[in-house]
Amino acid sequence: MPQPLSSKENSLFRQVIRNYEDKQYKRGLKAAEQILKKNPKHGDTMAMKALIINQQGKTEEAFALGKEALTADMKSHICWHVYGLLYRHQKNFEEAIKAYKFALKLEPESHQIQRDLAFLQIQMRDYQGYIQSRTAMLQARPQLRQNWTALAVAHHLAGNLSQAEKVLTTYEDSLKVPPSKTDYENSEAVMYKNTIIAEMQDYQRALDHLESIAKTNLDRLAVLELRADYLSKLGKKEEAADAYRALLDRNPEHPEYYTKLVEVLGIGADGAAQKAIYDEYAEKNPRCDAAKRLPLDFLVDRELITNLGDDFREAARGYLTLMLDKGVPSTFANLKHLYADQSKRDTLGSLAHEYLESKKASSDGSAPADGDSLNGEPAALYYLAQHYNYHLSRDLAKAMEYVDKGIELLPKNVEFHMTKARIWKHYGNTRKASETMDEARKLDLKDRYINTKAAKYQLRNDENETALKTMGLFTRNDSPGGPLNDLLDMQSVWYLTEDGEAWVRNGNIGLALKRFHAVYNIFDVWQEDQFDFHSFSLRKGQIRAYVDMIRWEDRLREHPFYTRAALGAIAIYVSIYDRSQATNGVNGSEDANGDEAAERKKAAKKAKKEAQKAEREAAERAAKQDPNKSKGAAAEPGKKDDDPLGFKLAATTEPLAEATKFLAPILQFSPKYIDGQIAGFEVFIRREKYLLALRCLNAALALDADHPTVHEQVVRFRQALNSKVESLPPKVAEVLKSKFTIVDDTTDLKKFNASFQEKHKDSPPHVISTVKTERLLGADKTKTEKDLAGVLSLKDASYEHAEEVLAILRQWRSGETDTFKAAAHEKWPEVTAFA
Amino acid sequence: MDIRRLEPRDIPLIQHANLENLPENYFMKYYLYHALSWPQLSYVAVDVSRPKKTPYDYPKIVGYVLAKMEEEPSDGVQHGHITSLSVMRTHRRLGIAEKLMRQSQLAMVETFGAQYVSLHVRVSNKAAIHLYTKTLGFDQEKTEPKYYADGEDAHCMRLDLSSIREQIRDAQLDAEDNENDAAAAAAADDDEHADEGEPVGDAGKAEDKKALPNRPKETKRKVKVGRALGVQALVEKDESKHA
Repeated sequence: MPQPLSSKENSLFRQVIRNYEDKQYKRGLKAAEQILKKNPKHGDTMAMKALIINQQGKTEEAFALGKEALTADMKSHICWHVYGLLYRHQKNFEEAIKAYKFALKLEPESHQIQRDLAFLQIQMRDYQGYIQSRTAMLQARPQLRQNWTALAVAHHLAGNLSQAEKVLTTYEDSLKVPPSKTDYENSEAVMYKNTIIAEMQDYQRALDHLESIAKTNLDRLAVLELRADYLSKLGKKEEAADAYRALLDRNPEHPEYYTKLVEVLGIGADGAAQKAIYDEYAEKNPRCDAAKRLPLDFLVDRELITNLGDDFREAARGYLTLMLDKGVPSTFANLKHLYADQSKRDTLGSLAHEYLESKKASSDGSAPADGDSLNGEPAALYYLAQHYNYHLSRDLAKAMEYVDKGIELLPKNVEFHMTKARIWKHYGNTRKASETMDEARKLDLKDRYINTKAAKYQLRNDENETALKTMGLFTRNDSPGGPLNDLLDMQSVWYLTEDGEAWVRNGNIGLALKRFHAVYNIFDVWQEDQFDFHSFSLRKGQIRAYVDMIRWEDRLREHPFYTRAALGAIAIYVSIYDRSQATNGVNGSEDANGDEAAERKKAAKKAKKEAQKAEREAAERAAKQDPNKSKGAAAEPGKKDDDPLGFKLAATTEPLAEATKFLAPILQFSPKYIDGQIAGFEVFIRREKYLLALRCLNAALALDADHPTVHEQVVRFRQALNSKVESLPPKVAEVLKSKFTIVDDTTDLKKFNASFQEKHKDSPPHVISTVKTERLLGADKTKTEKDLAGVLSLKDASYEHAEEVLAILRQWRSGETDTFKAAAHEKWPEVTAFA
Repeated sequence: MDIRRLEPRDIPLIQHANLENLPENYFMKYYLYHALSWPQLSYVAVDVSRPKKTPYDYPKIVGYVLAKMEEEPSDGVQHGHITSLSVMRTHRRLGIAEKLMRQSQLAMVETFGAQYVSLHVRVSNKAAIHLYTKTLGFDQEKTEPKYYADGEDAHCMRLDLSSIREQIRDAQLDAEDNENDAAAAAAADDDEHADEGEPVGDAGKAEDKKALPNRPKETKRKVKVGRALGVQALVEKDESKHA
C-alpha cells in the first residue's frame, strides 16, 4: 500500500520522478530529501532516492537504501520496481526479474513494469516468460501491430512456429483494408511470416505465400532469393534456373547463385557445360571477377588437352594474364586456395614464371612507365614472391629473390616491402619482420592498413610500447587514457589480444591478463548491446534482422576472437596456479621459476614506471586542451581503472576459478575446437574435477586420437586416477572406470608411451610430447633432455618445434639448453629466438 | 570473393576491417544499429577461398559498406547516407568498393525510396574521391572544414538516384507488360505508368488514398523510433565522433 503523503509532498514526489527521468539528479535528490524530512520512512521516496544515487555511481549505497525502502513499504510496486532496476543495473538479471514480478503482482496494470520485465525475459532467453508477458501486453494494446508481431517473435524463438504464424495471420485477418504498398512494417511482417512458413519446411506453401506478396514487397532481394530457393527445393528446375539467372543479373559476384544455377540445371558433372555458364556471365559483365575465377575451382588439369574449354591450365593462364596485366594485388590471395591441389599449385607457379619471362622478353629493362603500378613484370614478381612464401609452396630464398627484384624495380612500393616483412616472419626473424614492415609503413603514412600491420609485427616482436606508439598515429588520443583508451573504447579486439600475447612473452602477466580481461569484457558489452534492440527493432519493424541477431548473440562467444583471448588467459592462470603449488612445496621439485619471477618483477616495475609517465603526459595534455573543444575527453566519474597494470589480476588467489570463467564459454560454444578441450583438461585436473577433466579428454580424443598433447594428457590422467582412486567417492570411481577406457589401470604406461612414440617417431610434436611423458613417468633426466634435443635432427623439424623444445629445456633448467640453442641457431640462423 | 548482404554475425570482422583500415571507428552497437535498422543497405565482400583454421572460423571480411537512411533529413527528402566504406589494401583493384556501393544504392531506392545518397570523404583521399566522382558519378557539394577528428576537411558528396529509379520502373513496366499480355490488364496498373517522378515504393498511390480514411498509416509511419531508446543517444555520440 502506498503510504499517504500530503498534497504538497505528493507533488514533490511527482517532481522527483520527473527529475529522475530528465536526469536532473541533484534537483531530484533535493526534493526527495525534503519529503523524507517529514516522512523519514516513506518507502517510495526512499526508493526513488536510491535510484537517483545509483545513477550517480553510488551503487552500494543505493542498494542499501533500496532494501530499506522495501522494508519500509513491502506492498509498494514502486519499491519493488526500483529494486529490480537496481539489480538490472548490476546485471543481475535473475534477481531483477523476480523483483519486477513482485512489482507487477502489486500493480498488474503497469505498462512500464510489464515492459521492463518482458525485455529482461527475452534478454535472458526466458521464452515462456516472454510469451506470457507479450500476451499480456497484446491484450492491453491489441491495436498496435508491433504487439502482435512481438508475440509471434516470442513463439518463434521458443520454437513454436505454427503458433507464431497463427498470431501473424490473426492480425492480418483483422485488417479491414489492405495496407498500403509503402507500409514498411507490413512489408516486413509478411516477409517475416514467409520465412516462418519456410522454417516449417512447407516450401510449397511458402512459395504460394511468397508469390502472393512478391509484387509489392519492398525487400526485392529477399523476395528473389527466397523464391529461387523454394523453387529449387521443390524441384521446379526450370523456374529455379530462371530465378537464379535473375539474381545473377543483379549481383554476379555471389558464388552461391552460380553453384545453385549449375545444380538446378543438372550439369554439375559436365565441366565444359558448367564453364559455359560462367563464360556467359563473364561476357555479360566484363568487370566481374567471380565468373572468370570460379571455374578454376572445378576445372581439371589435363596433360593432353582433349577439350580446350575444360582445361585448367588454359583457364588459369587466361585469368592470371588478365589479373597481372591489370595489376590486381589480391591475385595470389584469390588463387591460393587452389594450392591444396598439388597439380594446380604447380601449374599456377609455372604460369607465373611463363608470364614473367614473356614480360621480360618484351620490356627493355627500364622501369615501367607508371611509377608505382603493380602490373606486368612487377605483378609477376609480386605473385611469385607470394607463391614461394606460401606454406604449401614455400621456398623462402626464392621468395626473397623475387621480392628483392620487385623492390629494385619499384623501390617505393608498399606491397613489396610488406611481403618482404612476411617472408622474414616465416624465417622466424621477428626482428627483421618488424623493421621491414615499419619501412613499408613509412612509404604510405596516410594508410592505416599498413600502419596496423606495422604495429602487429612490432607486437609479434614483443615491442609493446613501440606498437602502441605506432597505433597512436591513427587513434584518437584526446582522452586521458591516450591511444590505449581509444582502442579499448573502439573494441579493438585484435590489438588487445596481440598485446596480451606479447606481454606473456615479455613475462608481464599482469598486463597480459589485463588485455585478455578487456577482451572478455568486450564480449560482455556485445551481449549487453542487444538489450535496447528488443524494443527498438519492434518499433523499426525489422523483424528478420532482429531474429538473426538474437540467434547470433546466442552463440556470440563461439567467435575465435573470444576463444583466442580466453585460451591466453587460461594458460596464464594455470601457470599461476602451478607456481603457487611449487612455492608451497606441494609438488615443488622443479623450481624453474626463480629467474622468471625476478624478471617478471623487473618488467612489471618498468611497465609501472612507463604507465605513470604516460599518465602524467596524458594529464598534461588534457590540461592544455581547450575545454570547449574536447569532446568526451574528461573520463566519466567512477570509470577510473584502479588496476591499470593488472597487479591485482596477477595476484589472484583463485587462479583456477578465474580460468574456469574463461573456459566455460569455450566448452559450451566451441566444443569441436581441440585446443579448448585440451585447456579444459588442464583446468579440471588441477581442480581435481575428474569427471569434467575426462569429459574434455574424451572430447579431444574423439576429435583427434593421435594428437600429441592429448596423448600426454591420457597418461597424466591415468596416473592421477591410479593415485587418487582410493579417495574418490565410489560412484565417481565407477563412472571414471567405465568412461575412461583408452588405458586401464593395469596398463604399463611406459610401454604405452613407447609404442605411441614408435608409431610417430618422425613427427616432431609427437616426439616432444612422448619425451615429456617419459620424464613424467620417471625416466632419467639427462636422457630425456638429450632425447628432446634430438628433435632438431628430425627431417620435418621446423624452427617452431625447436622453439618449443628450447622453452621446455629452459623450464627443466637443463644443461642442454645452451648447446641446443647454439645448434638451432646454426640450423636456422635467421630465427630471432635463437640469436 | 563473395559480395552479399551484411549479416549480424559478420559484425565483429567488419569492425575488425574498419579498425585495420580507417581512422573513424565505431563500437559494435553502432554497427548493430545499422544492421537492425536498414538490413537491406549494408553489404560485405567476403574472402571465401580462405582455408579454415578452426571449425568456428567466421567469413573473412575484406570489404564492406555500412549504409543507412537519414532518419530526420533536414531537407525533408528521403535519402541514404554512407557511414563507412572500406576495402582491405590486399584486395584493391578488384572493383569491390564500386560493387558494394552499387548494391547498396539499388536497395536504398527499392526498399526505402531514397532520392539520393550522400557521403563524406577526406579531402586528401584521392583514390576514394576518384571512385565516387569518376566511377560512381557523385557530385561534390561543398567542403566541410575540420569535419574529421584530426582536423582534416571533408568533401560532402551526393549522388542522385533517379537513374536507378527509372531502371526499376522500366523493369516493372516490362514485367507488367508481360503480365498484361498474358492476362487482361487491370486499369490501376496504367495509372502507375503515368506516375512519374515518384519513388517506386509509392507506386500504389491510388490505393493508398482509398486506404487512408480507415488506416491513419501516415501518422504511424512518422513515429520517430529510437527516441528515448538508448539507440538514439548512441547515434548522436557517434556523429560527434567524427565531427
